[in-house]
Amino acid sequence: MIEVKSLSKAFGDIRAINDITFTAGNGRVTGLLGPNGAGKSTTLRILYGLLVQDTGTALIDNIDIKSDRLRAQQRIGVLPDSHGLYVRLTAREHIHYFGRMHNVDENKLESRTNELIKILNMEAIADRQVEGFSQGERMKVCLARSLIHDPANVLLDEPTNGLDVMTTRTVREIISELKSRNIAVLFSSHLMHEVSRLCDHIIIVSEGSIVASGTTDEIRAAAGEDNLEEAFVKLVERVVA
Amino acid sequence: MHPVRIVLGKEVLDAVRDKRALLTAFLFPLLSPLLVYFMMTAIIELKTDAENMTIPIMGAEHAPALIQWLSEQDVHIEDFQGDPKQAVKDKVMELVVIIPNNYQQRFRQLKTVAIEVVSDGSRTDSRPKVRRVNDLLRRYNRKIGALRLIVRGVSPDVIRVIVAQNIDVASKAQRAATAMNFIPMYIVLATFIAGMGIAVDSTAGERERKTLEPLIINPVERYQIVMGKWLAATLFSALGMAITLVLCIAAMGQVPLEELGLQFHINTRQILLMLVAALPLAFLASSMQLLLGIFAKSFKDAQSYIGLLVLLPMAPSMYMLFKPFATQEWMFTIPMLGQHLLLVDLLGAKDVPLIGYFYSTISCLVFSMALVLVTARLFQRESILSN
Repeated sequence: MIEVKSLSKAFGDIRAINDITFTAGNGRVTGLLGPNGAGKSTTLRILYGLLVQDTGTALIDNIDIKSDRLRAQQRIGVLPDSHGLYVRLTAREHIHYFGRMHNVDENKLESRTNELIKILNMEAIADRQVEGFSQGERMKVCLARSLIHDPANVLLDEPTNGLDVMTTRTVREIISELKSRNIAVLFSSHLMHEVSRLCDHIIIVSEGSIVASGTTDEIRAAAGEDNLEEAFVKLVERVVA
Repeated sequence: MHPVRIVLGKEVLDAVRDKRALLTAFLFPLLSPLLVYFMMTAIIELKTDAENMTIPIMGAEHAPALIQWLSEQDVHIEDFQGDPKQAVKDKVMELVVIIPNNYQQRFRQLKTVAIEVVSDGSRTDSRPKVRRVNDLLRRYNRKIGALRLIVRGVSPDVIRVIVAQNIDVASKAQRAATAMNFIPMYIVLATFIAGMGIAVDSTAGERERKTLEPLIINPVERYQIVMGKWLAATLFSALGMAITLVLCIAAMGQVPLEELGLQFHINTRQILLMLVAALPLAFLASSMQLLLGIFAKSFKDAQSYIGLLVLLPMAPSMYMLFKPFATQEWMFTIPMLGQHLLLVDLLGAKDVPLIGYFYSTISCLVFSMALVLVTARLFQRESILSN
């Protein structure tokens, strides 16, 4: 479970996020929805321990990420903003590297790697060096390495950004599978349809603050719009104006 | 597995697969023995060339006695026709000796005869020959002068007021070591070159290729990541250093140093000691490169900073080349200088005080650790990804 309470963070004079509070429960998919620059990545980066908040608390399974970073990080799988890979390593080596960094037992490492390769449908590319991989193939490697340690919480920053239909579908399947295993999934997106389709709970952020949250129905009701996209635009514009 | 070992293993694997970087890293260590061999043989050739040289002489017929004497000194005489100055200018001749027409006449009148030695002062390769010709002419001058005095009943010692006697305190091995002052320089250089690629790639490269963020959000301490990268770069650096050292010494063994009147004999123990003395340099070089790599704004920036860094370790070698100084104990405490002094002494088969190893190793390692700590601090910052 991920709990965020009154989180604020500024970079110099710019307030990136302001008083963000939400909970991403186990077995639920929570979506952070917002336009570019709304503060989605900043929120996630605080949650996975890259940035430190100015005020507020962020808890991963009741562990404070600020004061107990390593223990909290052990409990999360992250698909961060950067999807960089080491071009000379194979897909399998990437997964192993991150698995070992998460202290995954060597015996379990191999079986779990094979399992992920199968789920992500990447048998053909598993032992190839990632140089020349397509966007979708690269994303699969990133996903696999973030899930190798069986995390209880998963944070995904724009997981379907720039992917083709087939890979997007795989990502969706993975998210449903995680949900079915009672894992807390928190992901960010600026794609309305993506969020509405996958999420049990939507949090709309704009200009660093939460403007609405709830189920799709609740969001629509809050905006007084039948169409979710219209609702989103209306809620966001309300803040900007 | 310990996080440091995991990072180390990954970096080494990654670097070994980068064939082009690998070539850049080890090209110098592999070429250095050739450089040593050709440089030393060239020096020897110059010297031996001067010993059994051929002197082009213009107007040799005017001074048969001088020519006769020169021939007795293992010098071949070659008759020269044409414009001597032009020939030297055009680099057809290294030098030409001109004996004037009036040689015999002035000789008989006991007047000084000017013998011109035409040479090109900008040519370093002809200098030993010019020096030798001058030396020969001076000797002939003294010989004839002495004979003239003896004929007149005067002892030649009358005009020999003082005589300089050179006493060289350097052993033959030490003189050989000065001649190969560039070997320690190569060793130090190799240390900086071999680890360079991996150091840049695992810092600035990692940031540029956007792999740094996924890496540092793993549940390990950042300093452990830095340590892993440091050790990986050090490993390459040490390997380059060891290859250079062993190959350069092997190449020296092939050079006919006896012809210079020098001696080069080095045993396994000394080679091992040299490796021990130079090893801390690998730690230092990679810690500097890592820091610059993470400090630089981009991959390109990092490459140019680190390229310039190579000049730093050459400073003591260069200084010593032009301005030799006596080694004092405190000098061992200066990182890089200490290692350089140890290497020079070991090459010269000179005994190095144990304290020298101690000082130089400790100071070098302490300094590198400090740099690694600074790098780890930089890794800790929030702005690490953007810089």
